[in-house]
Amino acid sequence: MVNLDNLKKEANRILKEEKVKYIIGYKKSSNGLFTVPAFIKNPEEVEKLTWDPTCVYNLTRFLVDEKRKKAKEKEPDERPVGLIVKGCDSRALVVLLQEKFINRDDVYILGVSCEETGVLDEKKLAKTLKGKKVKNIEFGKNDNFVVTTKDGKTEIPAKEILAERCLECNANFPVISDILFGEKVKRKSDNPFESLEKFESLSKEERWTFWKEQLDKCIRCYACRSVCPMCYCDECVADTINFAVIAETTAEEKAQKIKWVEKSPVTSENFVYHLVRAIHLAGRCIDCGECERACPLDIPLRLLNKKLEKEAKELFGYEAGFDADVPSLVSSFKDEDPEDFIR
Amino acid sequence: MAEEFEPKIVAFLCKWCSSAGSDLAGVSRMEYPSNVVPITVMCSGSISPLYIFSAFNRGADGVLVSGCHPGDCHYIKGNFYARRRIALVKKLLDYIGLEPQRFQMSWVSAAEGKKYTQIIKDFVKELKPLGPQTKLRRNL
Repeated sequence: MVNLDNLKKEANRILKEEKVKYIIGYKKSSNGLFTVPAFIKNPEEVEKLTWDPTCVYNLTRFLVDEKRKKAKEKEPDERPVGLIVKGCDSRALVVLLQEKFINRDDVYILGVSCEETGVLDEKKLAKTLKGKKVKNIEFGKNDNFVVTTKDGKTEIPAKEILAERCLECNANFPVISDILFGEKVKRKSDNPFESLEKFESLSKEERWTFWKEQLDKCIRCYACRSVCPMCYCDECVADTINFAVIAETTAEEKAQKIKWVEKSPVTSENFVYHLVRAIHLAGRCIDCGECERACPLDIPLRLLNKKLEKEAKELFGYEAGFDADVPSLVSSFKDEDPEDFIR
Repeated sequence: MAEEFEPKIVAFLCKWCSSAGSDLAGVSRMEYPSNVVPITVMCSGSISPLYIFSAFNRGADGVLVSGCHPGDCHYIKGNFYARRRIALVKKLLDYIGLEPQRFQMSWVSAAEGKKYTQIIKDFVKELKPLGPQTKLRRNL
């Protein structure tokens, strides 16, 4: 189990020794139950840090913002940022390192292991407790979550309220870290593509009806893009629509700014946007499930990314986020890559 | 009598092999269906998946990507990258429920005018029973 006191002690030490600029971690939100990202700058604030099953966020995303901010500063603080990562988050970090988006010296990694559990799914929790108000959730013994409601403490097996992605996770402890809390225990992983395979067994028309229904809902708020640590492009193909054409706009400028996707949230455009996003995440998505969590319309975006994760593994034997020194999926090839579909 | 459905095919041909192959078919006066709109690109490896989605989005009934045979790429390994990328796009389009026949890839060298005409003939034959592609077509 992760010893929170040790985590705080280490956080305190690196802040006191001024080894890091600040630490990005989790703290309790004002409702007292769920956590929110915390930016700890002073050693006195370290007490706020927490670690419980509601630490769902992938904090790696803040490194993208940090890099942008740093690029604008005249005399940037070159010290690294302390970052608390779970297993999945650490894989996102590996992909960012692999793509040379960040340097290893830019970040001091405080890894926490999920061990046999993970983070919870808010909806599943509400369902299990039948609407009872939760006061506190902690990691318990024997892979249980200890949930405190007004009726007192109850132990719920983690499996019942774990997020779907945690049930299918095969990297439950950080792949890289400067200091690790908790133990490196490999989860007895069942089928990592269980929900996907269930969906794949549907007929082609059923799959089409499903996706049409789902992507019809999309309002193009781009929450999925904003929350994704991999969506760090300065300019997104979905955004070239912001280009204003005026009388002085030259033909050359217009030619360089092609409208690939219309802004209108209609089915056809939503499909192009989501398909492009899925393809751009092929071999990079590490299944942190943030897009699906952030989606205000509950579009099962994980199913889309998971499909390409599976194909990358089956066709090319590639798994994202385990090794920063290998070339990425689409920037490499093997002679024996399948070509039975080519005429 | 109702007019027969004529599919519209967008073909992305690489400049060095497939485009030359289609030229050869032309100058040799080989006959093949006129349903195809060829777009010459520098290399099959330069074809972004976005081109393909966009072609379907703007009303293509079928999309063909064609490049040099493996090992013959003008840029040494562009078609190997294409092979990987297109495999993923093909799987993804199939997954969301688009008919897999609508998206094809082929290797056509500059000497294979005959093969090019055959590919187009087969492609048109396969697309005709499917009817127009409406799933990804823009409908604003």
